[in-house]
Amino acid sequence: MKNKKVDFLVVGGGPAGLSATLEAGKRGLRVLLVDEGIQLGGQLVKQTHKFFGHEGTYASVRGFEIAKILVKELKKYKNIEARTMTSVIGIYEDGVLAWDRKENEVFRIEPEYTLIATGASEKYVTFENNDLPGIYGAGAVQTLMNQFGVLPGENFLIIGSGNIGLIVAYQLIQAGASVKAIVEIADKVGGYVVHLNKIRRLGVPVLLKHTIVRALGDNRVEGAVIAEVDESYNIIPGTEKELVVDTICLAVGLAPSIELAAMAGAEVIYIPELGGYIVKRDEFMRTSVPNLFVAGDVSGIEEATTAMLEGKIVGLMVSSEKKNVNLSGEIKALLRELEDFRRGPVSERVRRGLSKMGIKTVSGGFRTEVQRSKGPVGKLRAVIECPQPIPCNPCETVCVFGAISTGGNINGIPWVDYDKCTGCGLCALKCPGLAIFMVKEEVEKKEAIVGIPYELLPVPEEGEKVLGTDRDGKPVCEAVVEKVVKSKDKTHLVYLRVPLKYMDAVRGFMVSPREKYEFVCRCEEVTVQDIEKAIDEGYTDYEELRRYLRIGMGPCGGRTCRLLTLMILAKKTGKKMEELSPGTFRPPTIPVPFNAFLEGDKN
Amino acid sequence: MVGASIAFHLTRLGEKDVFIFEKNYVSSGSTGRCAGGIRQQWSTRNNVRLAMRSVEWFKRMKEDTGLDVEYKQGGYLILSFDEKEAEEFAKNVKMQKEEGLEVEVLTPKQVKRRFPYVNVEGVKLATFCPTDGHANPHLANFAYMRRSVENGARLFTKTEVKEIDVSNGTVRGVWTSAGYIECEVVINAAGPWSKNVGEMVGIDLPTESYRHQILVTEPLEHIMDPMIISFSGNFYIRQTRHGSFLMGQGDKDEKPGINRKVTARFLLEMVNKMSRRFPFLKNLRVIRQWCGEYNMSPDAQPIVGLSENVSGYFYAVGFSGHGFMVAPAVGEALAEWIVFGKPKNVDVSQLSLERFKGKEFLKERSVV
Repeated sequence: MKNKKVDFLVVGGGPAGLSATLEAGKRGLRVLLVDEGIQLGGQLVKQTHKFFGHEGTYASVRGFEIAKILVKELKKYKNIEARTMTSVIGIYEDGVLAWDRKENEVFRIEPEYTLIATGASEKYVTFENNDLPGIYGAGAVQTLMNQFGVLPGENFLIIGSGNIGLIVAYQLIQAGASVKAIVEIADKVGGYVVHLNKIRRLGVPVLLKHTIVRALGDNRVEGAVIAEVDESYNIIPGTEKELVVDTICLAVGLAPSIELAAMAGAEVIYIPELGGYIVKRDEFMRTSVPNLFVAGDVSGIEEATTAMLEGKIVGLMVSSEKKNVNLSGEIKALLRELEDFRRGPVSERVRRGLSKMGIKTVSGGFRTEVQRSKGPVGKLRAVIECPQPIPCNPCETVCVFGAISTGGNINGIPWVDYDKCTGCGLCALKCPGLAIFMVKEEVEKKEAIVGIPYELLPVPEEGEKVLGTDRDGKPVCEAVVEKVVKSKDKTHLVYLRVPLKYMDAVRGFMVSPREKYEFVCRCEEVTVQDIEKAIDEGYTDYEELRRYLRIGMGPCGGRTCRLLTLMILAKKTGKKMEELSPGTFRPPTIPVPFNAFLEGDKN
Repeated sequence: MVGASIAFHLTRLGEKDVFIFEKNYVSSGSTGRCAGGIRQQWSTRNNVRLAMRSVEWFKRMKEDTGLDVEYKQGGYLILSFDEKEAEEFAKNVKMQKEEGLEVEVLTPKQVKRRFPYVNVEGVKLATFCPTDGHANPHLANFAYMRRSVENGARLFTKTEVKEIDVSNGTVRGVWTSAGYIECEVVINAAGPWSKNVGEMVGIDLPTESYRHQILVTEPLEHIMDPMIISFSGNFYIRQTRHGSFLMGQGDKDEKPGINRKVTARFLLEMVNKMSRRFPFLKNLRVIRQWCGEYNMSPDAQPIVGLSENVSGYFYAVGFSGHGFMVAPAVGEALAEWIVFGKPKNVDVSQLSLERFKGKEFLKERSVV
């Protein structure tokens, strides 16, 4: 059996494992990173939304892009070996065994230090018929949709309103699916307010104190029965409702993947606030087993940002011990950063859990008041609708005019200094929560401009008429697209012109439903109706129709549309096909690029 | 386009009794095959004036007809690769400016700065007129024709004029494939077939039709505002509103006559020449090539006027490749001539057939 001796074995190539690998790799350790997946990045590769946090933790970068950045960085170091499709099957007293699934070969690893960053797996929930095809975990839906480009259904019911449930709902809508409802058994939404607002603006109902009773269908999901629950989460009889859905997506939380650490003998404790059974660790991520570390969700369900910070700490700890160098300054800075990230109300549970493990945390010390001023009437300016303190500040750091501040702490609620705001809209494009809007009253015209960050397709065009919708996705007024600022990262800023009185109400819009066309010429998009109208206007020769409508002028040269057009012409004019001129046939038969004719320089 | 313009102006001036005979379909002649350039930078004063007057009509064509003919005043950039020609350009610009045209002379550097997609290698000098432009020739043709019909004109397509009935030196009517029509005035606006329609009344019009080829590419996002042409470089190119690029050249080896076949030689010459001059074209695909006729006159200027020998017989022929762009003003002149007895707003006295009688005549040199 092959044997690999390494300084540092990292199990799991998600944000925690990648960060640890990089820190140790940078410092010259021989690192082996193994991951079960077909590509490195863990959950990052299926996250298409922009991350929260600050610039140092890739805030405002989409998850899969973060994975690309980290993996690219990894490739710079020859002392790092990364293996995908490789599972560590056990950490034994006498070594570690891993199975390379590509080669179907088990090999032995002899690491000096080991990090277990195996993340978490999805929790399951029991209800009648929960074995029907069409029931997926949220992570599975993301894997299919975002990693492999397969949309598993059309009409979804989502169980659970944590960040994952909310994000998946948003991504499903981006992918063109319909989300009929999100049900949440608790009396409040679990995820971030800005994530919630994004899907509310798209009209997705979030039903609190509701749960799923059963799935409907014989061979696959055809619907679901949901019902209200009482304080003890028991179903209240008579409140059942049926929903017609083809897919049920479970987003009911994550359970740390502790198996491997537990097999290695690491102490496991039950702390519900951190996700249930977790691997006990100290402040520096050390488990009860010497030289065995954990980072990320395996020692408490949290965010990718904290996983990256924890991974970095492990990377530094291992480097410092192995190379016998003092890295305590860097480590302390990371610990302070973690502490800061956990100050806010969204980390309240995590703080309680960590204190049970004996890890100190701090809370508060940031601004919690929402800005009252809406800014000077008539000036194009940003309004921020981010009422919940979360550790996130790209709006502050992107503003070149220094007009936005979170009040000195990343958890603070951002305020706008309207003397400095120029209305440039950069913050609205940058905000990962899509929570910044641009407004400007045009009082004399009794109209207003509202700029809306937009990540759906199709992106409307300037001059297009749309329906302005409110914060619940309900139509409130007609609006015209004034301007579209397209951004490379695909968050676009769509400026709408709306009646003045709806300026504070409009926070989204609906593009008019796609019109139904009956195309004759697909190259130039000419419809049956276009042709019939032109014939009515007196264009009764194929060549006239071609010149008037561009029919047949596209790349296909009329292969499809010529005959169809002539048939319409014959029918409308009552002439026989034989009497009509089929028009001219013009070379080339297929489009040929200029450079195909050129000798020598083709570029 | 010339015929449609005459009909448009006649009906605009209140003339209801207008019949238009077209042996094929509207825009089947030169207009429907042309590139749609609308240029005022000419070497003869006559042409400059006609073109400038036409631009006034193009500007209001949408208003006049209700059809958006894709008119765009993106300018004409004329590149010279020849020292002698460049000297002539300087003279032309002086004359054009005297006529009130906004024209500038550009150095190759200025060309590069303003039109970065042009390879200026070998360019000696360029002239640029920002009010020049282009339009969709089909739509412009349809627009004038449609408004004429709405104003009361009668349009007969697929109807060929076979003979013109003349007695005592006066036009009496025409025999067509659809029958006989009595009339007082016949206008020969037959483009490529002008000579044949002249022969019908025994007039020998000094016109000959020559094939000119053209090609079009797949569309790109809009990058090119002006039509860019060169006489010494022998090409023209423009981007349509649709996004495709139209381009063509002249061929001095063409024989007179109607020839609707296209050649591989044209395709190869164009592709090589144009991708050197406009390197971005290399990755673009050719969609289609076709051809049409330049109905040439001896001095490459239109022949417009009333016959001295046959009363009631007008001609508007020999446009030499620029009939589309001067059609609006020529139509105006002829319509006024017919309705009021003489043209009011446009002077076409220099364009009569009689100019070729023995005398020296000034040849228009600015033709691709």
